[in-house]
Amino acid sequence: MSTSTTSDKPTSVWGSHESQPPVPDGAVSVTVKLLRFNPEVDSEPHWQSFEVPALPTDRVLNLLHYVKWYLDGTLTFRRSCAHGICGSDAMQINGINRLACKVLIKDLLAKKGKPTTITLAPIKGLPVNKDLLVDMEPFFEAFRAVKPYLITYGNEPTRERIQSAADRERFDDTTKCILCACCTSSCPVYWNDGSYFGPAAIVNAHRFIFDSRDEGAEERLDILNDAEGVWRCRTTFNCTDACPRGIEVTKAIQEVKRALLFKRV
Amino acid sequence: MTSVERHPYDVVVIGAGGAGLRAVIEARQRGLSVAVVCKSLFGKAHTVMAEGGCAASMGNANSNDNWQVHFRDTMRGGKFLNNWRMAELHAREAPDRVWELETYGALFDRTADGRISQRNFGGHTYPRLAHVGDRTGLELIRTMQQKIVSLQQEDFKEHGDYEAKIKVFAECTITELIKDGDRIAGAFGYWRESGRFVLFETPAVVLATGGIGKSFKVTSNSWEYTGDGHALAMRAGASLINMEFVQFHPTGMVWPPSVKGILVTEGVRGDGGVLKNSEGKRFMFDYVPEVFKGQYAETEEEADRWYTDPDNNRRTPDLLPRDEVARAINAEVKAGRGSPHGGVFLDIASRMPAEEIKRRLPSMYHQFKELADVDITAEPMEVGPTCHYVMGGIEVDPDTAQSSVPGLFAAGECSGGMHGSNRLGGNSLSDLLVFGRRAGLGAASYVEGLADRPAVPESDVDSAAKAAVAPFDEPKDADASENPYTLHSDLQQSMNDLVGIIRKAEEIEQALAKLEEIKARVPNVTVEGHRQFNPGWHLALDLRNMLLVSECVAKAALRRTESRGGHTRDDHPQLDSLWRNRLLECRAEGEDAAVVAKEQIPMRQDLFELFEYSELAKYYSEDELAGHPGGEA
Repeated sequence: MSTSTTSDKPTSVWGSHESQPPVPDGAVSVTVKLLRFNPEVDSEPHWQSFEVPALPTDRVLNLLHYVKWYLDGTLTFRRSCAHGICGSDAMQINGINRLACKVLIKDLLAKKGKPTTITLAPIKGLPVNKDLLVDMEPFFEAFRAVKPYLITYGNEPTRERIQSAADRERFDDTTKCILCACCTSSCPVYWNDGSYFGPAAIVNAHRFIFDSRDEGAEERLDILNDAEGVWRCRTTFNCTDACPRGIEVTKAIQEVKRALLFKRV
Repeated sequence: MTSVERHPYDVVVIGAGGAGLRAVIEARQRGLSVAVVCKSLFGKAHTVMAEGGCAASMGNANSNDNWQVHFRDTMRGGKFLNNWRMAELHAREAPDRVWELETYGALFDRTADGRISQRNFGGHTYPRLAHVGDRTGLELIRTMQQKIVSLQQEDFKEHGDYEAKIKVFAECTITELIKDGDRIAGAFGYWRESGRFVLFETPAVVLATGGIGKSFKVTSNSWEYTGDGHALAMRAGASLINMEFVQFHPTGMVWPPSVKGILVTEGVRGDGGVLKNSEGKRFMFDYVPEVFKGQYAETEEEADRWYTDPDNNRRTPDLLPRDEVARAINAEVKAGRGSPHGGVFLDIASRMPAEEIKRRLPSMYHQFKELADVDITAEPMEVGPTCHYVMGGIEVDPDTAQSSVPGLFAAGECSGGMHGSNRLGGNSLSDLLVFGRRAGLGAASYVEGLADRPAVPESDVDSAAKAAVAPFDEPKDADASENPYTLHSDLQQSMNDLVGIIRKAEEIEQALAKLEEIKARVPNVTVEGHRQFNPGWHLALDLRNMLLVSECVAKAALRRTESRGGHTRDDHPQLDSLWRNRLLECRAEGEDAAVVAKEQIPMRQDLFELFEYSELAKYYSEDELAGHPGGEA
């Protein structure tokens, strides 16, 4: 992806009522360098920089809000719960996939008081709609393809199915997924070939394959044994590093591979 | 004429949180075609933030529990202002809804014998909250999202189209409901991405839009919570009730500033955490109000014994209903016994081993570690009240969830009545399941019973489209041009400071004047750019809803001259039995809100007799108590 650089200073349309909040004590000025793209006017994405006052305890999301609220009201990104549960604000922060609501500025400040630049770009491997907002549909399509729901045969119990604490623990890790796409969009295999299911879909298959109540493991393993399935994984561990929930994604993929080997060989 | 894409559906559900998704599933099971419209991506709704659990008297952790006990706890928590029929349905049906969710595939923490485990929570007599660590809401949403995927795959097998029966319209906002005469005929909105208009032609709309917290500065609510459903219903002619009751959750984060308001689950206290002031004192023992005297432990020793021997000890006052705890924290801070950043301390570190804390409360551990650099296994948290939930909402028939407008249904936080003046923790997730299902059923039955389908009047579509693009108009005076974010932040500050946790008449009047001023500035809001994903434009449209709903809160708060649940009047600090059966109803008059008082229907006799006379005497007037058999003794 080629990008051009602009140094356009944003101008505000708001008249005399425009007011920026007072800069709090202890704030430092940081440069937020954003990859902008507006399909209505741009043929290619381009970088745009803003100077933003930030507290070390602020999060990247606060900086984005500052730009949107006071400098450029057209800046577009997703966010919802703002503390790492909904998984809406995945983006590349200094080149690494993270949730903007969970990265503190103090961890990004340059050493010895040098000027700090924070670069923000959309996650890779998914089409960009506008600025930091990508089309998530291919990601959710892969999620739906692995049958991410409990499959059972026979009569439903009147109350709950019994599950021991140990059986429940077996797949606890992969139930923590928030479908933010940090893992899938950090995967080099996924960048090169969007037909690969990607780590998140495999994590969500794992969540049911290893659920003692589920009887659909065979069906899902068949799907994942496909050419676009788990065997495309090259074990680069990018996904595990990227997961904001600390899920051992690569391990989960390995467990699915092993399940396939044991069943087939 | 405006270009508008049109979609005909049997039922349109607005909101894809717990209540909305449960309604979708139910209407689809009845064979109807359903559209679900949501402002965020599918599966990211505010319900994901619910942490503690889902209240249901399954009796897995204590076999003494049953629906009657749950009903009584709910009515007490709401200080007897609840719609008792809703509270009854909720208590009776919650266990079935949890078991049903488990059969959909939901993960739950388990008891030693493999059943669903249940935890203690404020105001609940027995451990009653089914949970998954401290991420119960996330699991609830994910399970229903998965269920919907499975239903769509069934529909593909039968009809060759995944979306034959259920279609998700994500990142789409509804701005107006459209009627044919008295009844619902459609819903008008726009795609957030393209800005293009969309019209749903439907005889039935289920509102499941959640709350109003984004009208307050310090809140645990996410950006979607702009009171859309409340305002849409009002403009369509429905009434809201109980809008003066806003729940301030006692424990939100207070530091650092960027995370102020983010929720700290009540599960911390349910699992053994205690509140302390700057002097290290467990102050909640000083704040047990008269109506709860005798129901809570009076010494620290008894409170601590209760965790392991609940049959022979009373529970800790740290687990009083949320309104009581929030007021107590507020009073401690005001008396100068607060923590360095204006809250109080919540201590779990000294109460159990570090590994146990990480296992029971993993999200809280990570939240504090990552956002505040605090290790909750080694030091206490700093917490303070945060705007969390609105008890008030659209007035509905308890059994069908239908509002006073034919074809308009509501469930979850945007509906009103169920929780009275204060909601117990854990009663929200169960509310979503019970009344989400009932709204789906209610809408399905309504549609099946129609002799003919309503028609959408074209003139209404044109005026809705015109209103939606108004923020792009240049104001007459360019100098008066307003930034929507500045107006929003003015609104939040006013509501927070003047109609917040402690209220008084003169401040509420100031707030109302401020709201009028902001309303007058709204026409000057100018947004830059075009309709293609334009967040400034979206906020300008949301502002209209927030202002109308905030006016309801302020006007009802001014009217109710007593203190009850989530409404505390400094100038009327007592519970007043003359207000016990009086409900305040809000309706729209143009862009303004009007409030009238009306009487609540008396409780059905068999439910009334579930309570001891002596307890009812603390809330009811003598006349109302005449029919209770306990009075004759």
